[in-house]
Amino acid sequence: MAQSEAQLKIWMLGGLEGDDDAHAALLRALAPLLHSFYRRRLQGSEQDVEDLVQETLISVHTRRASYDRKRPFTAWLYAVARYRMIDHLRRRRLSVPIEDVDDILVSEGFEEALGARLDVESLLNTLSPKQARAIRDTHIDGMSVAEAAVGAGIGESDVKVSVHRGLKAIASRIRGA
Amino acid sequence: MMNTQQLIASLSKNVPRVAPHALARRIGFGIAAGCLVTAVLVTAVLGVRLDLRVAMQGFSFWMKWTYSISLGVGTAYAVAQLARPIPGSLRGLWLLAIPMLVVAGVGIHELASTPRGGWLALWFGRSWMICPWLVLTLAAPIFVGLLWSFRKLAPTRLRLAGAAAGLAAGAWAATIYCLHCPETSAIFVITWYSLGMLLAAGAGAVIGPRLMRW
Repeated sequence: MAQSEAQLKIWMLGGLEGDDDAHAALLRALAPLLHSFYRRRLQGSEQDVEDLVQETLISVHTRRASYDRKRPFTAWLYAVARYRMIDHLRRRRLSVPIEDVDDILVSEGFEEALGARLDVESLLNTLSPKQARAIRDTHIDGMSVAEAAVGAGIGESDVKVSVHRGLKAIASRIRGA
Repeated sequence: MMNTQQLIASLSKNVPRVAPHALARRIGFGIAAGCLVTAVLVTAVLGVRLDLRVAMQGFSFWMKWTYSISLGVGTAYAVAQLARPIPGSLRGLWLLAIPMLVVAGVGIHELASTPRGGWLALWFGRSWMICPWLVLTLAAPIFVGLLWSFRKLAPTRLRLAGAAAGLAAGAWAATIYCLHCPETSAIFVITWYSLGMLLAAGAGAVIGPRLMRW
């Protein structure tokens, strides 16, 4: 079963404190996560996937000092995994499209790690009030599009467009930062 | 290769503790160790300038040190950001414009108070031809120290990290080179010291991706 960001982070922090059991629990939980991450992205053999999983576990272990305890664990993990995959492809001289870490977090089901990475409020403040409200309602407060539309007194498609444009503006701002 | 469960078991035996500021400490240690080697090279090969004690009471020595040390601190910060797989923000680096503008301002003031005929002497000093190359050479041990730091860190933008490491190594090398270099003008420093640091940054960007791969 896939573990949550919160649980993985607790194990990671335990391992950083020198707790063998927490470290083992973390690596055991990461193996299937990494396995599905690589299998979905590489057409290569099962052996390649297995090698990458092991290399990544070793990287997670030896390069733990590069993790910032204040930030989400899964964002760090997938940035490491993404690098390992790029390195693997470079060695094989293959090319496949590779998403940003933000997109990886979404497709691997760790959206909650995204929000904490960013100073959400200050980013929202750079948008128009309508876009900021639409994003806050639907992505932070968990309203449905219909609820957000009624609350703001605008149409549903207007909410969707506001969310889409707002997120796009934020994304380009982060990349430019 | 062993199977994954065996690997996990072997990695989880006697897991060492990682201190909260391990990353900053490791980068600091890499730079310090490299600086030590560079300092030995400067004293043993180039020699410390004989009037160092007097010079340390003067303006130009501290102007040079303020310049190179502030760049050294700023670029070490950049290296620390780039040592994480998701680099932190580098926005604070605009602060480095301050020492550069200050030294440039001092340089302009020097030029204004020197007759035109003396400008070239002010700019080129006596060592402009070797100064950048010495800074580049003296940066090598510090760059190697940073490569050691990176061995347990996880840079993912290797060319940028290499350039930052080169620049940091160059800035600290320039700081130590001040113990030897007798030049005094600000315009000399902002031209030839900076050129040496840029050469180091360029070298770092070229060799970084190869040496920092993990």
